[in-house]
Amino acid sequence: MMTELGSCVLRARGLCMDYGRGEARVRAVDEVTLEVACGESVAIVGPSGCGKSSLLYLLGGLERPTAGTLWLAGEQLDHMPEARLARVRRHATGFVFQAFHLVDELTALENIELPVLLAGGSPSAASRRAHELLEQVGLSDRARHLPSELSGGQRQRVAIARALANKPAVVLADEPTGNLDSAAAADVMRLFDQLHVDGQTLVIVTHDRQIAATADRLASMRDGAFVEETRPAEGAARTLSAMTGLRR
Amino acid sequence: MGRMLLISRLVIGDIRRRWVQSLLLVVMVLTTTTTLTLALTLHHASQNPFARTRAATKGPDFVAENGPAPGSGDPSPSQFAPLMHAHGVQATAGPFPVAFTRLTASGIDVPVDAEGRDIGPSPVDQPLLTAGHWVSAGGAVIEQGLAEALGLHVGDTISLGGHRFRVVGIALTTARPFYPASSPGLVWLTSSDAKSLATPAEPLGYVLDIKMAPHAPLHALDAPSQAFATSSGVPSSVEDWQGIRADDYRVIALDQKVLLVGSWLLAMLAIASIAVVVGGRMAEQTRRVGLLKAVGGTPKFVGGVLLAQNVVLALGAAIIGLGAGTLLAPTLGSPGNGLLGAATSPSPTLGSAAFVMGVAVAVAVAATLAPAVRGARMSTLRALGDAAHAPRRRARVIALSAALPVSMLLSLRLIARRTRRTVLTAASLMIAVTMVVAALAVQRSLQTHQSHAAAGFLASSAIYQSANHVLVILSVLLGILAAISATFTAWATVIDTQIATALARALGATPRQVGAGITTAQLLPGLVAACVGIPAGLMLYQLAGGNLNDAMPPMLWLLAVIPGTLIAVAAATAIPARIGARRPVAGILRAE
Repeated sequence: MMTELGSCVLRARGLCMDYGRGEARVRAVDEVTLEVACGESVAIVGPSGCGKSSLLYLLGGLERPTAGTLWLAGEQLDHMPEARLARVRRHATGFVFQAFHLVDELTALENIELPVLLAGGSPSAASRRAHELLEQVGLSDRARHLPSELSGGQRQRVAIARALANKPAVVLADEPTGNLDSAAAADVMRLFDQLHVDGQTLVIVTHDRQIAATADRLASMRDGAFVEETRPAEGAARTLSAMTGLRR
Repeated sequence: MGRMLLISRLVIGDIRRRWVQSLLLVVMVLTTTTTLTLALTLHHASQNPFARTRAATKGPDFVAENGPAPGSGDPSPSQFAPLMHAHGVQATAGPFPVAFTRLTASGIDVPVDAEGRDIGPSPVDQPLLTAGHWVSAGGAVIEQGLAEALGLHVGDTISLGGHRFRVVGIALTTARPFYPASSPGLVWLTSSDAKSLATPAEPLGYVLDIKMAPHAPLHALDAPSQAFATSSGVPSSVEDWQGIRADDYRVIALDQKVLLVGSWLLAMLAIASIAVVVGGRMAEQTRRVGLLKAVGGTPKFVGGVLLAQNVVLALGAAIIGLGAGTLLAPTLGSPGNGLLGAATSPSPTLGSAAFVMGVAVAVAVAATLAPAVRGARMSTLRALGDAAHAPRRRARVIALSAALPVSMLLSLRLIARRTRRTVLTAASLMIAVTMVVAALAVQRSLQTHQSHAAAGFLASSAIYQSANHVLVILSVLLGILAAISATFTAWATVIDTQIATALARALGATPRQVGAGITTAQLLPGLVAACVGIPAGLMLYQLAGGNLNDAMPPMLWLLAVIPGTLIAVAAATAIPARIGARRPVAGILRAE
């Protein structure tokens, strides 16, 4: 699968991922090749257990491929030492998880500050950036709230803000609306749509056809491999609001 | 019956599946029960042997003695007449002549009383030979405690007041406390040999052993003793057998005091450690609790299973601990060698055994109860979702940590999440440091005693040697427990914070930063423990009867305790921290 867009942020070739050993070995990702250009939005869809999440974790450097090569933001990840891989994760990727994975005892603001602090940023810089992002996701008034005091949709918006904290080259989202009701899911979809419009590179694993339809490209997976790619006709890239009539 | 079978299956299954944690729990309970058994066994160590020795040596009920003093006349055997003819006296032996001299052997010079004895048996106080034969011309019999302390054996040559004697026997008596409880030491010679040691400056004194009739009035000897003391004009005393037994007991009392204080410290450490272990076990069993409830287990049943898992292990460990304590007890009885059987046959009584078992079960129940009740009360759905116990929010710590390097940031936040666990860790480490510092103080006092050439200090040195022996054993036990506790706390932290640490790594923290964070989270309580444990150890030494004036360890020793503690904690937590920092991130985050 090759992109026709400009400079490439993410490039995977022949990526494989096996779990288990011997007869129990299962191939979760099978010879996946993918290029994602800067500012592009790619949705990966497929049935449960087809290897979507495994691929996403591989692309973000959270798992190591069994075979294949992977380039992210100009660096080859597949054989990179763990400490350097951590640095790449710190600066080049932002993760959004289905289960949000906010730190329970930290407020919304502190959760967003966390990646900046882990990257060595000063407390004041982290706070400044977190306030900007809270405003961007529409939760300025929830800065001092703990995750337990936020709704599911609000938690996921905080998680998205956290993913953006270090201005990553690519945001990787794993079923970002999977744990949300339809209203909250719509909020989150709007946010991703806005990020896309703003030029943020996105790779989203989703079951949600509506989210998938907003992407520049849609890759379908089955049994660990890409089986189909669909792309909206040139000039017809649809924003979520255009598709669904939802108001921003 | 079916319920019991199910509980036993679940208990066995849990022990097999989590055998490492089960083993740790067993080691902790075992260490505690071993020490308690030692303490309780030693409690009886000097009393029963005294009775046996007294019976075997025809021990006197009273011992009267007189001796010379500057400015007073020479002591005389006739001064004992009021005592020998007192109402209620059944038999007497003596008065025997006693020479106050010095014994020199192998470069050691100690003051001794050389008591002159008949070659034939005595009706009262016939010392019991444990080696060799009774006195003969030129042959000395050494009191067993003194022989042990000086390393004397039958056949050795000694010097008494410049005269050479051969050691022909070693014997026990209850007519005076054994060495070092009694100093000067005691040797027996023939009467003529004893008399030959007297000098004009140190004339002979005399000793009389008195046996009272079985039904003699309680205070029959009070008036005659008074007459004996006032009429003689020389220093004189009358001591009853209970006083002699109390002096014997004094030697073992220091060991016992150290052991008892130590065993209570150990019990506290064990409770803290077991609470951590059990807490860790429970944290991993949340889903199991949910499953048991989902298939119809009542809260009572679930609580019962959780309790049984730990109580069964505690009971097993207590039985082994009782055995280990019984086997170890003789190694601590060395100062009691002056009494028959003191070193060889102390064993716990039925009451002590029941007490030790009771403590083990109580500790296990106390540590399990809160998590068991929590588990039993937790909603089935929440338990099935493996919901972790909500961490605490410490806003100030979070704000403070933001300005720190990443590993410190992580460690402070790990500490803040589970403050109770941190306090338990600090407490367990503090107890271990306390014992180590107390042992250092005893070591120092030994050095001080040994640096004095005069062998008069030998008696107290022997007592301190014995206390040091006990302290070293306790310190080792406490060190093992503290290390296990620190390791397990680190592991519990790894388990409890696996999502938080996986998330930190997903957000860019390196494994080294995460590992350093987990280790530092244990080092901070270690530092507090060392700083508090140093003064606490010195206080413990004083509490056990020590005098810090001659036992204050050098400042360098005390300061070395701090880095020593930190290195030990870092070593104990390195493996769990390393494992925790390198667990696959994706697997943990996806499992949620």
